[in-house]
Amino acid sequence: MASFCTNCSKPKGVTSVPRIRAASLRNVLLIARREYRERIRTRGFLITTIMIPLIMSGFIFGSIFLGSRAPGDIHIAVVSSDPQLALDLQAELDRRQQQQEDSAAAAQESPTGASPAKKQARIIVEAMQPGPGTRTELKSNLESGDLDGYLWITPDAAPGGRPAIAFTPRSSGQAGIKNTLADALGQVLIREQLGHRGVAAADADSMLQPVTLATSHGLDHSAHESAEISVSVLFFVMYLVIMLYGMNVARSIIEEKTSRIFEVMLATIRPEAMMAGKIIGVGSVGLTQVGIWLAAVLLLSASSMGIHLGGDTLHVALTGSQVVYFLVYFILGFAFYSSIAAALGAMTNSEQELQQLNMFLLLPLLACFLMLGTLLTTPDSTLARVLALVPPFTPLLMYFRVSLGHPAGWEVVLSIVLTSASICVIVWATSRIYRVGVLMYGKRPSLPEILRWLKYS
Amino acid sequence: MPIVQLHHARKVYDAKVAVEDLSFAIEPGTMFGLLGPNGSGKTSSIRMMIGITMPDSGSVSLFGQPFARKSLSRVGYLPEERGLYKKMNVFDQLVFLGRLHYLSASVAAARARSWCEKLKITEALPKKTEDLSKGMQQKIQFIATLLHDPELIIMDEPFSGLDPVNASLLMDTLLELRREGRTVLFSTHRMDQVERFCDNIALIHRGQLVLKGSMAAIKASYPRNRVHISFDGDDAFLRSPNIESLKRYNGHADIKLRPSAMLADDVQALLAAALRHARITRFEVSEPTLEEIFIEKVRESLPENNGLILHELQQAEGSYFGA
Repeated sequence: MASFCTNCSKPKGVTSVPRIRAASLRNVLLIARREYRERIRTRGFLITTIMIPLIMSGFIFGSIFLGSRAPGDIHIAVVSSDPQLALDLQAELDRRQQQQEDSAAAAQESPTGASPAKKQARIIVEAMQPGPGTRTELKSNLESGDLDGYLWITPDAAPGGRPAIAFTPRSSGQAGIKNTLADALGQVLIREQLGHRGVAAADADSMLQPVTLATSHGLDHSAHESAEISVSVLFFVMYLVIMLYGMNVARSIIEEKTSRIFEVMLATIRPEAMMAGKIIGVGSVGLTQVGIWLAAVLLLSASSMGIHLGGDTLHVALTGSQVVYFLVYFILGFAFYSSIAAALGAMTNSEQELQQLNMFLLLPLLACFLMLGTLLTTPDSTLARVLALVPPFTPLLMYFRVSLGHPAGWEVVLSIVLTSASICVIVWATSRIYRVGVLMYGKRPSLPEILRWLKYS
Repeated sequence: MPIVQLHHARKVYDAKVAVEDLSFAIEPGTMFGLLGPNGSGKTSSIRMMIGITMPDSGSVSLFGQPFARKSLSRVGYLPEERGLYKKMNVFDQLVFLGRLHYLSASVAAARARSWCEKLKITEALPKKTEDLSKGMQQKIQFIATLLHDPELIIMDEPFSGLDPVNASLLMDTLLELRREGRTVLFSTHRMDQVERFCDNIALIHRGQLVLKGSMAAIKASYPRNRVHISFDGDDAFLRSPNIESLKRYNGHADIKLRPSAMLADDVQALLAAALRHARITRFEVSEPTLEEIFIEKVRESLPENNGLILHELQQAEGSYFGA
């Protein structure tokens, strides 16, 4: 008659290993279906489906637009007792500007030319004689914005020596100007020195002609670059969707706790089935959303409108295997992070409490995101190879490596096996935390309490 | 064979003992009252019965066998803390909950409709749950509990927040189900609401059993020394020496007579005295109510000098009688 053994915490009557039987599988699907249908019908789903691509393409087009727009002139005052220096500097700066525009135009005309050249701001130099009130005048000009910076040139006491030059920019964000000015000044000074030593101006010009490196790529450079863009966009989408829907899982568990529905549910089905159903349901919504975006992008890029809108630069260069890898790693990543989110949801009682804990979810994701730069330049570096095998980072990093780098076959297989295994462990632990946690209300559990929950079945 | 049996069950949450050495059995086809004040361990006992939690020691059996998940499809549970998916359409919600209990979608839909007709709430079906009044949500939850035609129906505080008309509608439904052979477990602190209907009861206080048995036997073991009288006129008869205590209301008194070998004679004497002074519109003799029995029992079982519990009880007494 006794269904539970006496004086011990482990009940005999209940199996401690979650067994997937036909009955509970049916319940998992019922829960998932409900979750999916309720979510897909909401206005929130419609809004994020439309808004996120709009915002993202807004960023892309916005940066292209900003990049192609001609920036305003930059005014620099040159304070020097030698007015010739300022004139030479202006001539040198203009020459450079002209050179850049020429080469950019050439690149755009060539068939492999990638991005449209960014127009440089023109630097205009004004010569000034140093006087007693010069500094204060310059200062007020800087403050009013009439001036973007000034050079103070003090000639060396010894004739033929190098003058001391100080640059005062209006804002610290003008490092680019500083470099340009330093380069140009260097050229001017060299030219001057050469002149002093009797070199003819024409000779000096040819001596100072910059070396042009003709670059050629083994692979089709533009295809590679647009693959990089597409994969990076998908990387970002994966990051965003995992984060968004992971939090959705946690939030919906808290919602069930506050609406007390879970007590009805727990009197009917296993907590594990409830959790699994929720994760599958919410995950399917995420997949649907990504699917809609992918389909829309493919349609757009195939149609003439896409080409009209984005030009060559935005055309989608994804191979079938890249899409398959995306889906595989997306599913792995979602399962990994949403089961952690489920545990967080089960441990907390309100959104506010969740927000204190959600760094466990966000930090590893953010770390992946910060790796993006390294990955783009060196997808097969040791750091990338090691991190891509660490389960919390695998979904995003290995996806990136597999799409753009050259991981060995065993690395891909190992990453999938390791992540799947750790998902099993996390789901096991989470379902235990969930089982006890959903019935808890009041205070948030401490770490030892959570560890105790793991032993409780 | 009892439907539910608790055998020396004990449940402790962190520092608080929720249930201590609790044993009782619920026989099939009966209406069982699990009664006690708030926080006495009723919900904890129920959660152990249906496997939401496990007893720390002792045992719980369901349908004559150790707890097994598959038994849950034979149980309908209305939790004290009601819960429905707020944003979900009522009809979809009922079908979903029915399907979780292994009904097919079409059967669940048909039953949801017929139950809603029976409980006069069909207009709620197309609405969102959050748009319903609290009482209507409760009726929907009640239907969700019964949709899969459970053999054991567990109702935790089923009438809290319901108006009298709807409360009696639900009570009638439960009585009908009991007549059809279902077992009903009532858990409530409102003892007055269920004492007329329960076949058997268990009274618990602070996680411990105070009293259990059949309602009829418990009542029979108490003298019929309570008199409820409604009158109009002089109340001098209320000063009779046979009266141990009384509560006065406007035109009404609840009287407890002193213990006596000739209680029946004392009652008649009281009636005669009352008739001499006033116009009597109601005169009723009864056993103590379940609440009175409960308070008496708890007081008996109290250890000496337990001022805190005594204070608690006096407060409880006030609220019970005042209600």
